[in-house]
Amino acid sequence: MSVFFIASLLLVAALSFGTTNDLGNAYFGHSLANIEALADPAYRTVLLRSLAYAVLTSAICLVIAYPVSYAIALHSGRYKNALIAMVVVPFFANYLVRMYGWSTILSDQGPVLSLLYRLGVPRSFHIVNTGPGVVAGLVYGFAVFMVLPLYAAMERMDTSLIEAGRDLYGGPLRTFLKVTVPATRQGALAGIVLVFLPAMGDFVSAQLMGGPNQIMIGNLIQEQFYGGQNWPQGDALTMLLMAVLLIGMAGYLRRARKDEAEAVR
Amino acid sequence: MRRRTRSPLSSPPPPPPRSGPDRRSLLRAAAAGSLGLTLTGCAYIPHAESDAAAAVDAEPPLPMEVDGPLVYFNWADYIDPTVKAGFSEEYGVEVIESNFDSMESMIAKMDAGNTYDIIFPSAKWTQLLWQGGQLHKLPLHLLRNGDAVFAHYGYFDNPWYDPGSAHSVPFTMYKTGIGWRKDKLGELTGSWRDMWDGTATGRAFLLDDRDEVLGFASLQLGCGAYAVGHEQLDRMASLVQNLRPRLRAFDSDDYDNLLNGDAWLTQAWSGDMTSVVQQAKDPSVYGFEAAKEGAPVNTDCYAIPANAQHPGTAMLFIDYMLRPENVARNIAYIGYPMPVHGSEHGYEQLVSTLPDCVVTEQDLAANLVFTNGTPAQEAARDACWTNIQAG
Repeated sequence: MSVFFIASLLLVAALSFGTTNDLGNAYFGHSLANIEALADPAYRTVLLRSLAYAVLTSAICLVIAYPVSYAIALHSGRYKNALIAMVVVPFFANYLVRMYGWSTILSDQGPVLSLLYRLGVPRSFHIVNTGPGVVAGLVYGFAVFMVLPLYAAMERMDTSLIEAGRDLYGGPLRTFLKVTVPATRQGALAGIVLVFLPAMGDFVSAQLMGGPNQIMIGNLIQEQFYGGQNWPQGDALTMLLMAVLLIGMAGYLRRARKDEAEAVR
Repeated sequence: MRRRTRSPLSSPPPPPPRSGPDRRSLLRAAAAGSLGLTLTGCAYIPHAESDAAAAVDAEPPLPMEVDGPLVYFNWADYIDPTVKAGFSEEYGVEVIESNFDSMESMIAKMDAGNTYDIIFPSAKWTQLLWQGGQLHKLPLHLLRNGDAVFAHYGYFDNPWYDPGSAHSVPFTMYKTGIGWRKDKLGELTGSWRDMWDGTATGRAFLLDDRDEVLGFASLQLGCGAYAVGHEQLDRMASLVQNLRPRLRAFDSDDYDNLLNGDAWLTQAWSGDMTSVVQQAKDPSVYGFEAAKEGAPVNTDCYAIPANAQHPGTAMLFIDYMLRPENVARNIAYIGYPMPVHGSEHGYEQLVSTLPDCVVTEQDLAANLVFTNGTPAQEAARDACWTNIQAG
């Protein structure tokens, strides 16, 4: 796996110095034009926007997934497997198909807005082609990656610790903050990383749920590969995105290693 | 019907991580894996420099006879299936169909080493392909219905993209204009300025297409359909930015946006508008206008790749497709007009409520087309488009 991953990464890195011919075919080279083009302020704007959307998506997913995972792991009794299946099964359907579905359901004449308009919501209210629409799409698309690690962490949590906290006169909130949160922090961190990474590079949600002011870095990369037919420029953009993500990953891995070391001790 | 939407290619979600004895490392590995997911898929295709077009042109002329099955490569649903089946039946050959979803992916598949007998490139791609020595020269005199095209549509005797139509036969024609909801906006003025209609603020769309958006701007500034000067590009970008607050999105799905009510006003392709009126519950609420500043026109062509295995069958196929009855059936099915004499009336009836969909001799003669610039010019246009998209 690593060989394939690293080899393709090197290929992307090498081709970011390449050029194209008239038919848009990519050639290896040693041109710095693609790297220099990244200085265009347009890329910075879009990169920052993607970062903001991905952070927001991770935060919303955490807020939604935490109580869901908690309820399933600790309070669902024999329905546990059925409930987990209800979370996971919709994600067996292709992400693209689900997003197309959402964009139709949430369109102006779709069932959701038709109902809201009838209930008195002003006609100027839209969901599709808005920033919240894009984030909603990302949240729906990746929420399962938050639920599963959190669920795993909660299921493995020693519930007797919660009882012990209560026995020691800890209130529900204090027990939650002092016992449950630390015990599930690893799961939450893993969930945040699992949601943040694909959300940052996503282009489907912005394409189907976004408007002119919502495009993400993934859309610009996709445009270079499929529209502009300029793979070297797309590779240079990909490397830029990778660099940003690697900084985040490095922070996470350091944190995880520290926790692991503490756990061993 | 053919859709001009750029389909996003999605990566399937990674399998959900399961808890195990060493959960932390497993989660870390999964996280690293999803980092990989964010990489846009990239498979570098080695490509040998193609022979000069002259070498291909010097080959002996193609025959027009069955020499194997027809390997057919086109947009999905861009032909009446009964016409395709009819060819198979009449000549006793199998039609092996595959589809592309953009010109770029068509080229990528050809360059990856796949061979096709008949392809349907648009005008600018036809030019790139024949200049790269990737298209056979066609013996047009063999086509029994060739006169219906070339004797009646002078434009195609010597189109800009392929002198003498030496390597291509025109298949369909279309133009770009404005599609709108008459019940919401009433009548428009016949100008690209209609995109600024105040009532449609928040319900106006431009196509998500570099050439179309830049063409929309340059035509208004009187710079033709394909401007490349830096100063012109700056002015074009400002013009689009001026419209931006009124726009809901850049989206090439003009057909769905009009039908599902998201769009009251959209830059639109004439062929998609035909589909709108065919699908709409009440076609009378939709309008289409070609702007007086100019409407870009485009052509999709039949072409036979230089490495086709069965070019004789492909020639027969073109000949068969040009028969009047097949032209009529295809027009009714896909909704695009074809430059074949005798088919005009049928198309006019199809778009009786949207007369501007008809591509006239005058539209063709105006020659407002998206050509191929030099690499530097194309790069400047790309940068302009990126800036427009980024906002």
